[in-house]
Amino acid sequence: MNGDNAYIVEFNGVSLNYHDAQGETPAIRGLDFGVKKGEFVSIVGPSGCGKTSVLSIAAGIAVPSGGSVRIEGGRPGYMLQQDHLLDWRTVEGNILLGLEVQGNLNEESRSYALELLKTYGLGEFAGKYPSQLSGGMRQKVALIRTLATRPELLLLDEPFSALDFQTRLMLCDEMHDILKREGKTVILVTHDISEAISMGDRVLVFSARPTGVKAEHIIDLSGKSPLERRNAANFKDYFNAIWGELDHDEAK
Amino acid sequence: MMKQNDAAFSAEHRQYIARLNRSRRGIKLARWLILIVFIALWELFARVGIIDPFIGSSPVRVAETIARLYSGGELFLHIGITLYETVLGFVLGTAAGTLIAVALWWSPALNRVLDPYLVVLNALPKIALGPILIVWFGAGITSIIVMALLISFVVTIMSVLAGFNEITGEKQLLMKTLGASKLQIFTMVVLPASLPTIMNALKISVGMSWVGVIVGEYLVSKAGLGYLIVYGGQVFKLDLVMASIVVLCLLAALMYYGVAYMEKKLVKWRMHGG
Repeated sequence: MNGDNAYIVEFNGVSLNYHDAQGETPAIRGLDFGVKKGEFVSIVGPSGCGKTSVLSIAAGIAVPSGGSVRIEGGRPGYMLQQDHLLDWRTVEGNILLGLEVQGNLNEESRSYALELLKTYGLGEFAGKYPSQLSGGMRQKVALIRTLATRPELLLLDEPFSALDFQTRLMLCDEMHDILKREGKTVILVTHDISEAISMGDRVLVFSARPTGVKAEHIIDLSGKSPLERRNAANFKDYFNAIWGELDHDEAK
Repeated sequence: MMKQNDAAFSAEHRQYIARLNRSRRGIKLARWLILIVFIALWELFARVGIIDPFIGSSPVRVAETIARLYSGGELFLHIGITLYETVLGFVLGTAAGTLIAVALWWSPALNRVLDPYLVVLNALPKIALGPILIVWFGAGITSIIVMALLISFVVTIMSVLAGFNEITGEKQLLMKTLGASKLQIFTMVVLPASLPTIMNALKISVGMSWVGVIVGEYLVSKAGLGYLIVYGGQVFKLDLVMASIVVLCLLAALMYYGVAYMEKKLVKWRMHGG
């Protein structure tokens, strides 16, 4: 997938401090990493280590306290743990939300969004309301809402963690397939090591706060889909290595 | 649930539906029964002398009074004035209250600055301001409308703002990641999402407007249902007092259902137009 070797995301010596009346907490210190075009990078780390803040910075919502960040390819798409579909809008109305907000809603962009919906098996639900969909379908609609604005880079913040286990495995497969087919560059933040390994081309292990990259693994597993990759012989080796590197005493 | 026709229902399900219908009918029946028994007993007690009709009136006397007011052309005059004051006070109070709630949502700093004042204003019985209003706005309809406005105004600010603030930060975060401006966040997410809360606030402030108008009429009016009640009390015409209260009950209920109807329409509109 990585024909082009140029980084489209670059974090150089990024730091971030949280402030409150009690004082200053260093959340991120000297964070360096890059993501190549078309690459799927998973980030794992102990809870509360500031993984989400990294995505906020990449999305331009949070401003780093120091260092530099370079993001190419326009506004990244962002997916949250909850789908946050607007329940008074139809599925169609929901996937067009980003285009509307950005003032890019026209016949062409609308049919592109609806085409995505069709391609990924939700075409018949365009006129339905979110309350009529299952949790997995709702999260898929949220993904299509994110893709509709044609972002080059997608930031996924634990997008599966609100789902039950079975739905989670299935949606992992489906979303991985969609993202690869659309040729997107992805940063996935998760606390689930198996998820990180099965989906990622590369896994970054973050340290406890103040966070930085503690270890990096290029994932080479046989099998295409995350489910197949979970069955690869060396899957366990990656898992054990990463498990060993995680700062457990910080995890709560 | 799968759709089935009647014949396909099991006996158990048919029994369940029958039970459901019976209980619904029972509740409706009980509601009417309470009203009928109450009116019947009231009339009966008045006739046999357990209640002195001079002090306690009676349903027949109430009905006669309403009929007399109607034929004298006074009924709709009083209803009209009271309704006019209430609707105007309600509309102005909720409109101003909603606008201020929007401003306070928009600027958390302003919200924090004004918070203690809102708390005091909310705790203050607005009726205490009556004499001031009369001096400022004159002993007439304007004072009454301002009283109704004041009472519904503060309630509206508090409950509409609470509705806005209920909308999670995450939904706003999502809008920000899509590049939404604050105005877009407000009109596309916060306002439609808090519509049900706003409508509930309106239902409360309808009641508040009635309180304001009746109190206002007690203080200064020359016409209106509140005036009739006070006047009736002063000249010891309890028939007139009771009749006015009955009319008031009907009007207040009607207005409440009007707002509830508007709520239904708005929610529907939100689903299709929003």
